[in-house]
Amino acid sequence: MKTATRVQPGTTIVDVTGDIDMGSSPGLRKTLLESLKMAPRLIVNLREVRYVDSSGIASLVEVLKEARNTEKRLVLFGLNKTVHQVMQLTRLLKVFEIRETEKEALEA
Amino acid sequence: MNCDKARDSDQSQASAPDGPLRLQVRMASNPHLLSVVRNIVSEMAAVSGFDEDQCGCITLAVDEALSNVMRHAYKNRRDGEIEITFEAQADCLEFVFIDRGEPINPSRVCGQPLDEVALGGRGTHLIKQIMDEVCYERVPEGNRLRLKKYFSTSKSKA
Repeated sequence: MKTATRVQPGTTIVDVTGDIDMGSSPGLRKTLLESLKMAPRLIVNLREVRYVDSSGIASLVEVLKEARNTEKRLVLFGLNKTVHQVMQLTRLLKVFEIRETEKEALEA
Repeated sequence: MNCDKARDSDQSQASAPDGPLRLQVRMASNPHLLSVVRNIVSEMAAVSGFDEDQCGCITLAVDEALSNVMRHAYKNRRDGEIEITFEAQADCLEFVFIDRGEPINPSRVCGQPLDEVALGGRGTHLIKQIMDEVCYERVPEGNRLRLKKYFSTSKSKA
């Protein structure tokens, strides 16, 4: 798994590529928590994520909790069918702010 | 022995391909190997006759089970040994995991109510949602976890 961070006024966008599993989720968690500090809104691009397991979901939940605690926003976009299904099975689709495209995420 | 069966017995509808389909993998408890096993499981499920969505769900369940062994039985040690047997039977695909790690708390295998913002516990929840039978036993070798997915159920599409 790899990440790349883009900074815009008021927003940080993190592009994630690859599989998020027990091996890679600690690195993702660290990157997202650091990125959250940089702006009032964090957008996470999951378009190139093929797979996510419960440890990856737990990392996203932890970042969401931190965002809520610091009165910031976390927006996810680009979920493929597999990632969407995991979110559905863990009943988190309505917990996260999820958008289809980057444009929609920026407008959210 | 701690077993959870979510399937009615009359749902059986054999659709396994002709001849035995059995595969055994012995691996180290290293998370870097998870992606390798995911590829094997996905192919095994496809060859056994599951559709693409079901293959994805079965792969997720097996990955979660394996992650639990690494995390809880071996406490994140990377040199533990895990043996996985994949077998297509007449009416189901079965996965058996054997490890020599510490005993698993059976209540963890049973799963806990899903709290929307809890940081843990979703792995077991996913396994139980996807698989039709989840059975944990402490055996002389260590821990044995058996997962079954029947061919005729559509539980994984929940």
